[in-house]
Amino acid sequence: MAAAGSVTVALHVAEVLETIVSGCLGPEGRQVLCTKPTGEVLLSRDGGCLLKALHLEHPIARVMVACVSSHLRKTGDGAKTFIVFLCHLLRGLREITDKEKDSFLFENIQTCGRHWKNCCRWKFISQAFLTFQTQILDYVMDHYLSRHFLSIFSSCTKERTLCRSSLEMLLGAYFCGRVGRNNHNLISQLMCDYVFKCTACESRFEEVLEIVDDCFVELKVGVTGLPVSDSRIIAGLVLQRDFSVYCPADGDIRIVIVTETIQPLFSIPGSEFTLNSEAQFQTSQFWITERTKAIVKHLQNQNVKLLLSTVKQPDLVIYCAGLNGISVVECLSSEELSLIQRVIGLAPFVLPEASSQYELSHTALAKFCKPLILRSKRFVHLGLMSTCSFAPHCIALCGPVQGLVEQHENALHGAFKMLRQAFKDLDLNCVTQTSDQSCTSGPCIYKNSRESNELPKIVNSSIQRSYQDTVVKNKGELAKTQTNLKVCSNLIVPSVKLEQNVLCSTPKVAVTDSYQTDETLRCSSPNKGRIMDDHEPFIESNSANSKPENTRRGISYENLQVTKLARKDSILPLRYKSLQTCTSQSYYSSSIPAGCVLPVGGNFEILLHYYLLNYAKKCQQSEQTMVSRIIANAILGVPKILYKSKKGNYSFPQVYVRALQALQTNQPMISNQTGLESVASKYQLLTSVLQCLTNILTVDLVINIKRQPQEVYDQDSEEEL
Amino acid sequence: MSRLEAKKPSICRSDPLTGERARASLAALKGLVTSCYGPAGRLKQLHNGRGGSVVTTSQSAALLAGLPVSHPVLKVLTAAVRNHVACFSDGGLFTAILCCNLVENVQRLGLAPTTVIKLNKHLLSLCTSYLKSEGCACRIPVDFSSTQILLSLVRSILTSKPACMLIAKEVDHISTLILRAFLLTIPENAQEHIILGKSIIVPLKGQRVIDSAVLPGILIEVSGVQLMKILPIKKSDSFKVALFCVSLSGDLSDTGEGTLLVSYGVSLENAALDQLFNLGKQLVSDHVDLVLCQKVIHPSLKQFLRTHHVIAVDRIGVSLMEPLSKVTGTWPIGSLGSISPSSYGSVKDLCIAKFGCKHFFHLIPNKTTICSLLLCNRNDTAWDELKLTCQTALHALQLTIKDPYVLLGGGCTETHLVAYIRHKTRNEPESILRDERCSQTELQLITEAFCSALESLAGSLEHDGGEILTDSKYGHFWSVQANLPSAVNWPDLPSRCGCGLYSSQEELSWSFLRSARHPFPPQTCLSREATGSADTLTLDCFTAKLSGLQVAVETANLILDLSCVIEDTN
Repeated sequence: MAAAGSVTVALHVAEVLETIVSGCLGPEGRQVLCTKPTGEVLLSRDGGCLLKALHLEHPIARVMVACVSSHLRKTGDGAKTFIVFLCHLLRGLREITDKEKDSFLFENIQTCGRHWKNCCRWKFISQAFLTFQTQILDYVMDHYLSRHFLSIFSSCTKERTLCRSSLEMLLGAYFCGRVGRNNHNLISQLMCDYVFKCTACESRFEEVLEIVDDCFVELKVGVTGLPVSDSRIIAGLVLQRDFSVYCPADGDIRIVIVTETIQPLFSIPGSEFTLNSEAQFQTSQFWITERTKAIVKHLQNQNVKLLLSTVKQPDLVIYCAGLNGISVVECLSSEELSLIQRVIGLAPFVLPEASSQYELSHTALAKFCKPLILRSKRFVHLGLMSTCSFAPHCIALCGPVQGLVEQHENALHGAFKMLRQAFKDLDLNCVTQTSDQSCTSGPCIYKNSRESNELPKIVNSSIQRSYQDTVVKNKGELAKTQTNLKVCSNLIVPSVKLEQNVLCSTPKVAVTDSYQTDETLRCSSPNKGRIMDDHEPFIESNSANSKPENTRRGISYENLQVTKLARKDSILPLRYKSLQTCTSQSYYSSSIPAGCVLPVGGNFEILLHYYLLNYAKKCQQSEQTMVSRIIANAILGVPKILYKSKKGNYSFPQVYVRALQALQTNQPMISNQTGLESVASKYQLLTSVLQCLTNILTVDLVINIKRQPQEVYDQDSEEEL
Repeated sequence: MSRLEAKKPSICRSDPLTGERARASLAALKGLVTSCYGPAGRLKQLHNGRGGSVVTTSQSAALLAGLPVSHPVLKVLTAAVRNHVACFSDGGLFTAILCCNLVENVQRLGLAPTTVIKLNKHLLSLCTSYLKSEGCACRIPVDFSSTQILLSLVRSILTSKPACMLIAKEVDHISTLILRAFLLTIPENAQEHIILGKSIIVPLKGQRVIDSAVLPGILIEVSGVQLMKILPIKKSDSFKVALFCVSLSGDLSDTGEGTLLVSYGVSLENAALDQLFNLGKQLVSDHVDLVLCQKVIHPSLKQFLRTHHVIAVDRIGVSLMEPLSKVTGTWPIGSLGSISPSSYGSVKDLCIAKFGCKHFFHLIPNKTTICSLLLCNRNDTAWDELKLTCQTALHALQLTIKDPYVLLGGGCTETHLVAYIRHKTRNEPESILRDERCSQTELQLITEAFCSALESLAGSLEHDGGEILTDSKYGHFWSVQANLPSAVNWPDLPSRCGCGLYSSQEELSWSFLRSARHPFPPQTCLSREATGSADTLTLDCFTAKLSGLQVAVETANLILDLSCVIEDTN
């Protein structure tokens, strides 16, 4: 397959996938019915699920599906947006290349076009995308977008506590895109209740999310044939099997876990048992019976009421347990066992070697233990007393058909994954820091010093590129700037440590001079202008600060911080009082802090679009401009689909114009939708798509192999034989 | 096994409902289920050319289980109905027809699925909250002091399954049997949580229906040969019972993973048999009268027990173990060694009974909640149908105990609900319009689609071309014969409404169902006298019907929400 048309081909493939996927995107999306060869039907709005069900053959499509599924494994969300965004990116790329072929309008593009034609241009573009992803995107996220972020945590203190209403909004928005529209309210409410019921200790909800995500299969019970509205949360743990013996017991129930049969066997693996006479056989059987009885009796003496076994126990054990008032549950799966062990921290009971008195150390307590009947099936219902922050609860999901129940299960599981991601700090891919790691004095300093390191890098890259174009630059000078900068940060950090405001001023002046000169020497003026432009709308109020900041950030640390905070306060809408935390946290490191959210309805996309365009205006590098433009325009594809069915004031152009006006006049963006989405997941999605795109663009030839993939294996094994 | 071929790509179809194929298959399914509905429903014969028995049925459980469905949308629909039936036994056809009607009606409108689904959901919540409210006029609280309502419920279920082939006298007989069997499962001294017992249905095919009977205790079928070996039972007021769940055949139990080396001349069989004899001796010395074993008893042990006047019955099977242990009060014994005396149980009496050509060993307990329903019918297919019906009826009675209400049957609940919804949406549309953000026209269209789905559901009770009327006071269902001479003033003809609650004596004004008429508020609050006066009502199980209604609307919403179908053709 030739490489020439690779964008066109990829676009065709992506467009086909987009038509399928866009039907289920967003709150207005519809369901898709997947039939399996076994005759089962599965309802789904999950993009990953749909793409898998399609069994695509086209090589590029398979690359895309592979990228989507690896993204899903990481985040559990965003498969549909992935495809839509990728499709728009490809569309944008093709438009650019078409234009290039037809007319040579812009000087820059003309030169670049020539360059691309000479070199391997797709590779070049893909590299441009990669540079964008690794440098510019993070820069834009950190510098411009971060001031719009809201936090999901309720208090301003360092301790993170979940805010119920914002969690509800986050989950509501998630389920809007995942389950049928008549059920999403119910399911998100259910999940919200579940999270709060399971969290025994408010501040350790992350642990809970981890357990639930890992063991979700064991924590849900699917019930078919009942209306969805009958779904509910069950306190305690439900094991999906019946008791082998059930002896009703009151009060606290002592539990023991065994992983082997209690009844001793004639012989263990690898051994040999010789029978010489019939009497010997009878005595050994007698001994086995007596020993089993003794162990069970011993358990009873220790007041054990429930025996959980991972293996099937012989009839004799069941009989003895029943006589001694011990309930038995057999054949627990290893997953169930590990969940129980995590909840109550109980190690399996080791059978005593001698039948003498043996103190049981491995027991735990349960509040109750009873059969639970769901749709005329009997389950074991355990009220375990948790020793960790997870208070065990189960979700009984009801639905008229198995396919719907499965959809809800998958959506819930995905939601837990998404929450886990949302509550993690996401490191932005920033410049490696030298002095910063050691500097832990305060959030503000850390951030500032990082900034000071980051910008030079960008300057560096831009310098390197401009070097190719016009101006002759001295490499030695470049190195000097870097050292200068390092000195700058090293100088200032300790001083700030000592005294916040006043002491700073002395070293500052000195450095400023040297640096400013350096910069004016080499930094091409547009670069400076860019920074100035960027900050213009925001720093209008405190013009006194604007100058030092524009020349160099590293110089006026404290001032910068103050202005930033002030700026943020003015922008943040009042109803999110949690903003303060978010802003202060963002100074800790160059990361998207845990729990950062934005309102749904294309807020993130419009913001990124706006800032990327701004960036592109100031950017001198033609390919960076182009890449930023393409991405900025492509990212609008998602909100366009979201607002497709809306009319009048809520149509996309109206919303877009209003948002841009708000941004330009420095006013809060007003979202007419309730619901939040995690910024981290959006950011990860963006990077995954860009990686996928570079993946597609860099391939120049697809080699079609008709052979069975297994054959290679077979030959190998034969040779071995 | 590894796959030899690569997976074929799936087929993706958008808008699965608009195609001609979908419409045709939906119509076919609708025709199928509609024609089965109600006491006058037509029977279906399921026949597989490859073999297997022929099934004659009009029940959704049997019908849909044997029906191959190829269209994916219909797969969803039938799966939903079957799951509902698995949960509630009753109301399968109701759910299927309502769901088909809804999908068809709404599809015809061509409105945006979002609005349709929202409004359908809203109308459903109107229905359910009305049905659950105190003022609901189609719900009757069950009076447990008399059997009248429960008997009517059972009778309605029996008559609505024509494939049982029962005549009126047999319906009376079977419905009393079912009710008696159910009452026997209720424990006498009820505590806070009632644990119902079990009625075991014992098949006796080829006998007259009238020969069916209910017996307390358990019937164990024994073959003629076995019967010869069983000694005449001596008279006693109590029999000691031992119930084994391990095999008494003398085989070696699990010896572990390692190797077992047996010296020459050592016979493990003899050793095992010795052990069995020891066990037998212990049983005899413990004065056990009856030994029951889930698996096989060694013939020598049987012989040994017989010589000591102990009755031994083996191969009981796992399904009878739980009821047996309940009836006799034993712990199933899992040991061949010493037996704890506490694991023995007892029964009041033992006898050998002969019903038809079968011999049974009858265990009569002192006091338990287990009974056996000996069910007879003429042929296999009719028996299968009758058994399913009995299970449905027993289940419906259990559900009624949990939620002590019944709904009016015979189409009256549906027509009454229609009148209620029409009135509600016409007179108080503001709240709905505000909540759901839709236009007045949309609301009217959807309401009309919803109501006509319910009306044609009620209408499908009539299979003989009769006319269906509804009155404007109670909103009940009245049917009149077809082909009446036009001279006759037809509103005088129906004598009782569908459920039998009201008679035409009252001054009622009738109109055709499905004809345009002014919405009226149906009379709410059922009067006590009305329910007391009518002796035979047609009633439906409340829980099953309510859930059926919800499942039908939810499934219809689900189907209407489909944007495309991905078919895996591997």
